[in-house]
Amino acid sequence: MEIGVVRRDGRGEAFFDGAAAGRLVIKRCGDCASWYAPDATECPGCGGELGWAAASGRATLISWAISHARPRQDGPVPTTTVPTTTVLALVELSEGPWLHSRLAEVDRADLREGLPLRAHFEHPDEGESYLVFHPESSVLTDHFSGDRPGEEPRP
Amino acid sequence: MTEPEGPAAIAGLGMTELGKVFGRSPRRLAADAVRLAVADAGLTLADVDGLLVSHGMSGSPGIELAASLGLRDLRLLSQLSALGATAGAMISYAAMSVLTGAASAVACVFADAPLAPERPTGAAYHRDAPEYHGFRGMTAALGFRSVNAFYALATQRHMARYGTTSEQLGAIAVATRRWAARNPRAQLRDPITIDDHQRSRWVVEPLHLLDCCLVSNGAIAVVVTGAARARDLARTPTYIWGWGQGHPGHRRERGGPGGPGRRGERGEWGLTTGAVTSGQVAMKMAGVTTEDITLCQLYDCYTYTVLVSLEDYGFCGKGEGGAFAASGALGPGGALPINTGGGQLSAYYMWGMTPLSEAVIQARGDGGERQVEANDVILVSGNGGILDHHSTVILSPHTRG
Repeated sequence: MEIGVVRRDGRGEAFFDGAAAGRLVIKRCGDCASWYAPDATECPGCGGELGWAAASGRATLISWAISHARPRQDGPVPTTTVPTTTVLALVELSEGPWLHSRLAEVDRADLREGLPLRAHFEHPDEGESYLVFHPESSVLTDHFSGDRPGEEPRP
Repeated sequence: MTEPEGPAAIAGLGMTELGKVFGRSPRRLAADAVRLAVADAGLTLADVDGLLVSHGMSGSPGIELAASLGLRDLRLLSQLSALGATAGAMISYAAMSVLTGAASAVACVFADAPLAPERPTGAAYHRDAPEYHGFRGMTAALGFRSVNAFYALATQRHMARYGTTSEQLGAIAVATRRWAARNPRAQLRDPITIDDHQRSRWVVEPLHLLDCCLVSNGAIAVVVTGAARARDLARTPTYIWGWGQGHPGHRRERGGPGGPGRRGERGEWGLTTGAVTSGQVAMKMAGVTTEDITLCQLYDCYTYTVLVSLEDYGFCGKGEGGAFAASGALGPGGALPINTGGGQLSAYYMWGMTPLSEAVIQARGDGGERQVEANDVILVSGNGGILDHHSTVILSPHTRG
């Protein structure tokens, strides 16, 4: 799965440390214990300070979208453009926060709101480890592994 | 100071060339549009005592536009930002200003020039980078590189929940193009079919290319005055009967008992929008219901935005927007004409000024081949963010009885 190189920006250290170790680490309010996405900066509930905490990695699917390769007639295709057919996803962590991510190892026919998912980390040769989601349990038939050529639009 | 009489009105409309217009900066385009709007009203720049400037992409002008126009002794000057809902917000603040006497002639303008001659259109709102930084950078690296992906999630959620189909969205694209064919200003005027829509490339599935709006350079301005003054000016006034905004603040997290969401709500992000509140407020102020509205100019950054707005305003039930669109109601000859100038899908992308400008043209009866006879009550919408921010304006060629 090629996504381009991810670098740290000095603000999400605990998330990327966790990702490297295969653990999902997100934000949690020190005052009211509400959970938030890794890029949250304050607690909208109580205004409290957010710290980092390990999440279960369990999630469910809210919605999805299929990204196809950009055709060449629309201009030069940069090497970092998403090169293949991939499943973009909006997921709800079991702790509550929603994240925008990508699904892998998923059968398109299984896509539905509420599909149980589990966090999975990819460890590329260059750059930071990154987060995708896999179905909680799946018998794979015609799965999207994320590295097939783009498909033709369906009628 | 004269006593305000009746509702505020749009007295002038100015539109530069729109589309692939190169060689003029956004500030220059904005100044040109204001001059055109002021002249259209039969006023001079010396008569303008208020200026509201919409934010746009980087490069759009701010309040320094007043100096570019040589405006002096202004009583109102601000840049406003509610994303795609800004045009409606500007009209409401301009109307309140003239009704309260804070100002007497307020110009409102949007200008942008994201297109460059040698760059693909999609690049204007799309970002690719050799490296991505931080958690948000990771999200972009995974494929969330423009608003297209987020609108695709919203559209897919509606499809999964209500059975809405791509062909139903296509009906909106086809109806809009039929209107555009009747508008000399429209960038895309060749007729399209549902089949053309279905065969257009995926932008992000379930959104085809023909579900997505244009990108345009240009500027549009209007001048708002009191009703009595507008009647003495050059053009037939377009009266501002009502306005509203809606910002639902859908939290991107689980709702329900025990969850962190408030008020026990299930997160309805992507399925309902601020049009619910915005429409109710505006219609109540105007003293009308959806039954009275005969013409709509709806913000159409995507076909789906039109569909969900129709539902949230109450022109059809929740989940029935697809069937409503496919019924043929929205195109020429239909029961509820929508985006009669070709909207942002086919005519020009000037954010909320696209629907507003067409509403003024229709209210004046200046629509030519595309003029709708039943133009008595016109609803105009604005939408910003990922269905996060909404504005509504209700306009009419008539003063309120």
